[in-house]
Amino acid sequence: MERDLALLIPEIIILLTVVFALVAEMLRLPRIALAIIIAGLLLATVQTLPLLDVNTTVFGGTFRIDTLSVWAKLILLPATVLSLLLARAELAGTDREGTVYVLVCLVSLASVLLAGVGDTMVLVLGILLSSLGSFALVAYPRDDFATEAAMKFFVFASVTTSVMIFGLSYWFGGTGSTLLSELSRLDSSPVVAVIGLFAVIIGLGYKASLVPFHFWAPDAYEGAPVSIAAYLSVVPKIGAILAFAQIVRDLPITMAWPLIIAVIAVLSMTYGYLAALVQNNIVRLLAYSSIAQAGYFLLGIVAVGTSPLALPSLIIFSAAYAAMNLGAFAVVMVVGRTLETFKGIGRNKPALGVAMVVFLLSLVGIPPLAGFVGKFLLFGAAIEAGFTWLVVVAILNSVLSLAVYLRIVVPMYQKQHDDSSVAMSTPLISLVWVIALLLTIAIGLGAQLLFGQLNEYLTGESLHCATSLSYLS
Amino acid sequence: MNLIAVAILAPLSATLLIMLLRRFPATLALLGAAIGLVGSLELLANAYNGLSQEIILPGLPGMPLRLVATPLTALLSTLVAVVCTLVMVYAVGYMKKDREQVRFFATLLLFAAAMQTLVLAGDWILLLSAWELIGLSSYLLIGFWYRKPGVKSAAMRAFLVTRSADLGLYVAVFILITNAGSSDIASTLNTSGGPAIAAGLLLLIAAMGKSAQTPLHDWLQRAMAGPTPVSALLHSATLVAAGAILLIRTAPMLAPETLLVIGIVGGVTTVVTGLIALAESDLKRMLAASTSSQYGLMLIAVGAGVPMAALLHLIAHAAIKSSLFLGAGVFQHSRDSTMLDKLQGVGRNQPKIFFGFALAALALAGIPPLSGFFSKDAIIAATLSSDHIWILLPLALAGTLLTGGYMARALRILWLKNGTSQPVSGLAWMGTGLGGLVLLAVILGAAFPGLELLLESALNIRLTENTITRFIPEILGLSAALGGLLLGWFFPVQVLLGPILPWAKRGFVVAGGFDNLMVRPALAIAHGCEKLERLLYKGVLATGRLGLRLGKAARRNDESGIDGMIFSFVRGTVNLGGKARTLQNGLIHKELAISTIASAVILVFMFIVLLTY
Repeated sequence: MERDLALLIPEIIILLTVVFALVAEMLRLPRIALAIIIAGLLLATVQTLPLLDVNTTVFGGTFRIDTLSVWAKLILLPATVLSLLLARAELAGTDREGTVYVLVCLVSLASVLLAGVGDTMVLVLGILLSSLGSFALVAYPRDDFATEAAMKFFVFASVTTSVMIFGLSYWFGGTGSTLLSELSRLDSSPVVAVIGLFAVIIGLGYKASLVPFHFWAPDAYEGAPVSIAAYLSVVPKIGAILAFAQIVRDLPITMAWPLIIAVIAVLSMTYGYLAALVQNNIVRLLAYSSIAQAGYFLLGIVAVGTSPLALPSLIIFSAAYAAMNLGAFAVVMVVGRTLETFKGIGRNKPALGVAMVVFLLSLVGIPPLAGFVGKFLLFGAAIEAGFTWLVVVAILNSVLSLAVYLRIVVPMYQKQHDDSSVAMSTPLISLVWVIALLLTIAIGLGAQLLFGQLNEYLTGESLHCATSLSYLS
Repeated sequence: MNLIAVAILAPLSATLLIMLLRRFPATLALLGAAIGLVGSLELLANAYNGLSQEIILPGLPGMPLRLVATPLTALLSTLVAVVCTLVMVYAVGYMKKDREQVRFFATLLLFAAAMQTLVLAGDWILLLSAWELIGLSSYLLIGFWYRKPGVKSAAMRAFLVTRSADLGLYVAVFILITNAGSSDIASTLNTSGGPAIAAGLLLLIAAMGKSAQTPLHDWLQRAMAGPTPVSALLHSATLVAAGAILLIRTAPMLAPETLLVIGIVGGVTTVVTGLIALAESDLKRMLAASTSSQYGLMLIAVGAGVPMAALLHLIAHAAIKSSLFLGAGVFQHSRDSTMLDKLQGVGRNQPKIFFGFALAALALAGIPPLSGFFSKDAIIAATLSSDHIWILLPLALAGTLLTGGYMARALRILWLKNGTSQPVSGLAWMGTGLGGLVLLAVILGAAFPGLELLLESALNIRLTENTITRFIPEILGLSAALGGLLLGWFFPVQVLLGPILPWAKRGFVVAGGFDNLMVRPALAIAHGCEKLERLLYKGVLATGRLGLRLGKAARRNDESGIDGMIFSFVRGTVNLGGKARTLQNGLIHKELAISTIASAVILVFMFIVLLTY
């Protein structure tokens, strides 16, 4: 018991942080609440570091402390801090400001739980906790748009989550246990396994906004404050994807589940970019782009269990995605929500323009930026798993994505007739996009180091991975 | 700081500085070359004292990139640095009137840095990269005056020929690395048996391309389209030398069968290109043909199993040939042409330059006590000690004879008749560079015993075996050289070559030459690729349009209600506010329906997969 609690110290710290912050919020001290939460999250991140080479489970296998969940904390908690800074810049002075921070922190806790899920009940808990917080966050502005978006979000979540819980009951019936590690017993009863997997795909597909369960995402992002959209597009999504990875690790490979996930990956990538191609609202555009990026994540999921590259690639792409997406949203906060506002911004604010270009090119996956490294490793993992056709589709979609993101870049460097000012620019936002910019470049350049680290923790046979990496390059 | 890094990084950083500053190109170039030279000299001095240096850089996993300074590589590095520096000095004068000095010096230094990397490389991967880099920068240099007619095609030809031969290097390196399990050059040299023969022959192909050996000799003469300092540099110690250096460095690995092939290729080249040189009517092209011929002699030495002799000749030839080219450059400036007809008697207008040129020519022919005498002597001695003496010795002697012949012919044309020349600017710079190189060409012979000792003790390269006294090769070599000189001076080329003159003038083109064998197919493939690309481009455009249409359709499907919704929403807020809610509810239903249908499809798909799996 003590051992379990000791291993859960980061999560416990987050929970306590939430409680303290809530007290501060009740005393109408939002700045104190924010300070408590940021300090708590950073403390939790630091407390995660000693766990880096731990690979175990706690509470009877229901929660996993392994490379995936530990790195998820190292990525998601700092990403949450950056989102909180954005939220502070956008929402300072509004009524009930502190609740936003508390909710964000709770959703992050849920995402971290999802990344280490070892039991179907933890999965349900994580998704519900994450969803409930998200509804409230989206509805925060309390105008008609936000309310409508939150309502839509809520209906979608209710339907998909209930279907998921229903389907998971089949797994419980089949194995007699809620533990994921017992799933290998399903080898003999494939129908039960398929129904359960179907349920998981729906539940996590909604959470990670994969096609065809994505409909809520663009509306929710558009209705919510931009900082909240940035947060929702990064932290809960990565949590859901990593939960997916945790689950498929234990699935019997005979079910051919990679094929189904590959099909969903194709749908998400293609549909996401096609829809993004015709958006004029940048937030919606980025929403569709994040749907497509979720499809790229699935390339790593497909390879889980067959390729040693799969988990490192998922982790590295998560870090890359968090940095570049948060950065892009931060720039949108400064510039404005429509394509029109981006006109000439590259000339008026050169540094900001360069940063946006870097984020977008990284989203496309152009070397030497973070997005390239992540996608490169994902492609390598999928190829090793035998899904070369999927990689070809993904690369074709990357070409399509270039068109999507260039739609933002091109007006940025057009001549602008009037010298309109930017929507909002505070030192906090600048701080966030500068950090994101540095990370986007640093992850791209330092991936080799990161990759070596991950391999050491994951398999201990780093040589094998390294050779397969060099073979790919 | 590590001296290896100095030798490579000095020219490289000078390149970058020139490109960044875009001014003082000449000063920066001289500075970069000089610092590099100091580094190389220190390396050589260290090598004399038995110190060898190594830099290991992170490269591929398990295969780090290495730079090593052994006596051999340090010596080659010094050679490259010396020639580069002197050529750079000369180029300051030569390029005085050119407007694009920035581009010129930047590329020249890039080339120098790449060549330093090539000679100092301790592993195959770095060597390949440097090999590619010198290929690229030589292309840029040969094509430097790209506006002149014919220059672009000459550069392209040089690139195509050397590149197609480079394939040999790639395959050879692949064989060597997979066989030895390491990319370290030193450890791959233990390869033996079948792989060694295959790799050796493939390396020979690569060397034939770079060192312009028959039948791939044609590109070198055309490469004369570049500025003269470029020719001097490419031909002496660098680009062309890369092929011979490759064979010298891998000599311990070469099997006897491979050695014979190398010797024959070198022998045929030395005779064929020697004849071409004799028939040539353009001074620079003649010198180019002579370069091929001299490298043929070096290959004979490698084939005879004495790479040391090849190395000595390589060093002597580097100094001699760059002097000859630099002299030719001055003649070119004073008559605005390199055709021998126009250059008649130019030596009388530029007596000092001609004196240097003549000294270098005599050195090349092999007249004692000039450096060429000793190195040729070593080569002939090598053939005498070889197992294939009756094949290699006559070829080597014929090469020597021809060398004397064409050099005497050139000297005669340049000196005899009278003609008028225009004044040449920048002569001081050019004269300094030339003087330094000629001095080297004259005295280098004295340094050979020292070099032999250094390399023998440190590298265990097989030394000239003293089974036969040096007397016989000296007599043989000297008589061939003198005979060639006399023939060339007193008999016109028509008499010497007789019926094969026209053929030799065309460069002994066989079966349409390289054009038909390589260049035309390559160009045809290129045209085919262009067509394919146009087709693909159209395809991509069509896909793009299709994508846009799909996108629009997707928008209609996904958000058919959105636009209307927003309008109604605005209206709704203005009027009542109730209408929007109904609309939005309807939208969710619609979308949920889509999701449900899609998930049903997924479920069906999953079961189908399950059943068929």
